[in-house]
Amino acid sequence: MKMRKLLFGMAGALALASPGLATPDLFALKVRNAESVSQGTIEHAVILIEDGKILTIGQDLEIERGIPVVDRTDLVVTPGFVDCYSRMGMSGSGPSGTFPWLKATTELSPRQGVYNELAEVGVTTLGLYTPGSGISGQAVAIDTSGSSADEMVLSDSAYLKAVVRSNSSSRRMLEGAFEKVDKHHEAVEKAREKWEKDQEKWEKDNKKKDKDERDPEPGPFEAPEPDGVAGTMMKVLDGELSMMFGIRKAADYLHLQSFIEGREFEFSLRVPAVNDLDLWEVTDQIGELGLRVIMEPRLTTRAWTMRERNIPAELARAGAELVLIPNGDSLGSAKRWRHDVGHLIKNGLDRDAALRAMTLGPAIELGVDERLGSLDVGKDANLLFFDGDPFQPTTNLVSVMVGGDFLDMEDVR
Amino acid sequence: MKTLDMTRPLSFLFAGLAAATLAVAPGLAFDDHEGGDEDDGDAYYAIVGGDIYTGTGEVLRGATLLSKNGKIHEIGYELYLPEGTETLDATGLRLYPGMVALSATSNLSQGNFAPGLEFHDFTPHEDDHSICGDCGKFYEEIVPAAVDPGEVSTTHLAVEGFRTDFDDSFDPFGGYMVMALANGITTAEQSNVAIKLKRGEIEGVSLSESQLTSFQWSGSNPSGKTDLRQKFRDGYQYLRDMRLWEELDKDVRGDEPSKRGIDSRVLSVLEGKTLARFSSNEQGDLLGIARLAQQYGFRPVIQGAVEGWVVADELGRAGAYAIVNPRVRRDPNERLAHPNGSSIENAALLSAAGVQVAIVPSNTRIDLGGSAGRDLLGLALEAGFAIRGGLAEHRALQGITTVPARMLGIDHRVGTLEVGKDADVVVADGDLLHYQTLVQYTVVEGKVVYDKAEEIFYAHIRPRTTEEVVDPGEQAPADEESVEESVED
Repeated sequence: MKMRKLLFGMAGALALASPGLATPDLFALKVRNAESVSQGTIEHAVILIEDGKILTIGQDLEIERGIPVVDRTDLVVTPGFVDCYSRMGMSGSGPSGTFPWLKATTELSPRQGVYNELAEVGVTTLGLYTPGSGISGQAVAIDTSGSSADEMVLSDSAYLKAVVRSNSSSRRMLEGAFEKVDKHHEAVEKAREKWEKDQEKWEKDNKKKDKDERDPEPGPFEAPEPDGVAGTMMKVLDGELSMMFGIRKAADYLHLQSFIEGREFEFSLRVPAVNDLDLWEVTDQIGELGLRVIMEPRLTTRAWTMRERNIPAELARAGAELVLIPNGDSLGSAKRWRHDVGHLIKNGLDRDAALRAMTLGPAIELGVDERLGSLDVGKDANLLFFDGDPFQPTTNLVSVMVGGDFLDMEDVR
Repeated sequence: MKTLDMTRPLSFLFAGLAAATLAVAPGLAFDDHEGGDEDDGDAYYAIVGGDIYTGTGEVLRGATLLSKNGKIHEIGYELYLPEGTETLDATGLRLYPGMVALSATSNLSQGNFAPGLEFHDFTPHEDDHSICGDCGKFYEEIVPAAVDPGEVSTTHLAVEGFRTDFDDSFDPFGGYMVMALANGITTAEQSNVAIKLKRGEIEGVSLSESQLTSFQWSGSNPSGKTDLRQKFRDGYQYLRDMRLWEELDKDVRGDEPSKRGIDSRVLSVLEGKTLARFSSNEQGDLLGIARLAQQYGFRPVIQGAVEGWVVADELGRAGAYAIVNPRVRRDPNERLAHPNGSSIENAALLSAAGVQVAIVPSNTRIDLGGSAGRDLLGLALEAGFAIRGGLAEHRALQGITTVPARMLGIDHRVGTLEVGKDADVVVADGDLLHYQTLVQYTVVEGKVVYDKAEEIFYAHIRPRTTEEVVDPGEQAPADEESVEESVED
């Protein structure tokens, strides 16, 4: 599906030949505006792309002679959208329990049209989570334009998902998982003591013996392997893997914090944006910690009223790292995603925060922000081409570029 | 206290200079400036100028209540308020102890508005299905993990660090809880656990557990009565044997009396660790319970006690507690020659006979669907009905504060406004038990948790001032800049 093709809308200012050709290894892209996310909007931007990566980006940069130029000064580009929370192309619900070692990547069936279709509507990176309540496993981050697992998988250990509620069993579940780490450390300690004793004993027994008569020397210390739970939770505590806690109300957050107290590890919150959501009660606390909050772009009514609140906007304002996901887990919702976010902007969400929440924010969540999520030097040239403000519903997505190549988008408009 | 340590040397200094200036207050005030970190973390809160109905029978008019770190520090006139004390002007208002609701709905502590109940007009994420997994249960009572009644609690001693399942499930933002606070309830008993209705925090919510042990005593089940009497007899005998055995010399005495076959629940009642609760209304049953209690020396708690007024003297002699609903109606059986059925004077007569009367409404849930005024929100009004039946006013107030607190074993913390107890205060705009009275502020452990003007429920009724506009769905003031920026050129 990743056709090495280049779409040209306009005939005039082209430095390259007709459509259908792959982009060269090195070329310059001229656009009206580049919404870089990391450094604001760059007007009259020139982006130099080499081997699918952004080499330089800046305003009105001079382009060296001989470098092919793709002139789309009529268009606005943004980074490719990143949806970090999906089950698209995967089925069923999962078990309830503690399975942190499970990986969503094992469920991935790459040859489904749906991923390529997602790329064509602008979602170039997708995070697929493991289903089920409890600690259900590790999400996979994929490049939706790929056609094989090798091409697609960006990270098979993107985040560890856990669903927690305000009750004793949730608390016991979390405590149980983290206790496994302590138990493993104890086991290692015991094994080491035993090994040291063996070592001493060997030395005592064999000191006076001749070299040939000595017993075989005990080997170097080998720590016992942690089991699946302990191994994964150790990664969490070591900062290699971030956790995503699914909660559904403000009280859940307080109970989660009361559990976490004293433990240090990176985590984010997944909160479905549904009516009566009372998360605004704790937005200040969440904002102070700068936590990532994953939610749909929806206004929600306050309990017992018909008053709408823009909780995503309140979170962003409070200092949280807002991460938005489409309103539903379908291609249609992905298509309408930017319109839904536009509605939030109309209702007070900061526009920069909104674009960040569809690109860099989810990229951080997936742990792939070094590679994508913003228009920065060294990152993948994943670009969306719009004929206007992307949040304006009448604006069209004209083309999509992934890793420096335009997607063949004859079917979509 | 650090404050005092610092004060003394300073006071000596003063004394050396001029003995006349040796007043405590200036010393403290001075100390506050110099002392640096001595009031670190100390949170003072004062409710000034209100009439304080302490719940012990006393009334202090135009007085001040000062709370320190959630406990009542001082009550009186012209109190010294440490620097930084937050104050609430209660001039013209009345202060009462926070009410204690028995057998309350679990929605008080866990009832959020169940996000996810409403129809989803989008394809929900897989995870979101689980949100509605227990929606069907929402309007039912969500009964928490049953507490083993056999487990004897020692909650009177273990106040700090005390935890129940409620601590893990408490929702400090629940709308039902705010409604309860709006009606003056600050403590609730749910499934035998006493819970402090804290807002916005989840620490230290459970106050006591398993204070009441339920037993059956019913005329319709004679063998059950015989069994229970036998259990009490055995338990009583065991305790006697145990005492004798303990008094004997170690060399002389034989084996320790066996605990086999002894009902642990009965034992905990006889040892005074828990109270025995009976649910009973018939005078015959009430008499039976009273005699059982007198025989074995425990104080029964009788829920219902509709015909208690007929046998009030007997219940009083047994030192009984009664949990009554003053508005209950039961027509007398005309075929019986002796007085029977309900009486509006029930609470008054029981109280006059020495029974400690707690008051509950007929519906102990928060019900907005038909029984308004007879549900938990009408708790104070219910006490008003007891007064209508002749109960003394202060007894009626005690029926919704001190008496239930005593039953739950938490009267050392809540139930009255006294120095050292929790600063749980209801500030009302009139007699708390009057039907027109509205709660203006509710304070739990020295923090305002309800302000009538700030909440959607009653702000529109006799608004405090005209300019206060309640905007419950208010979004934080819209950042005008960002709105403008969002309009793309």
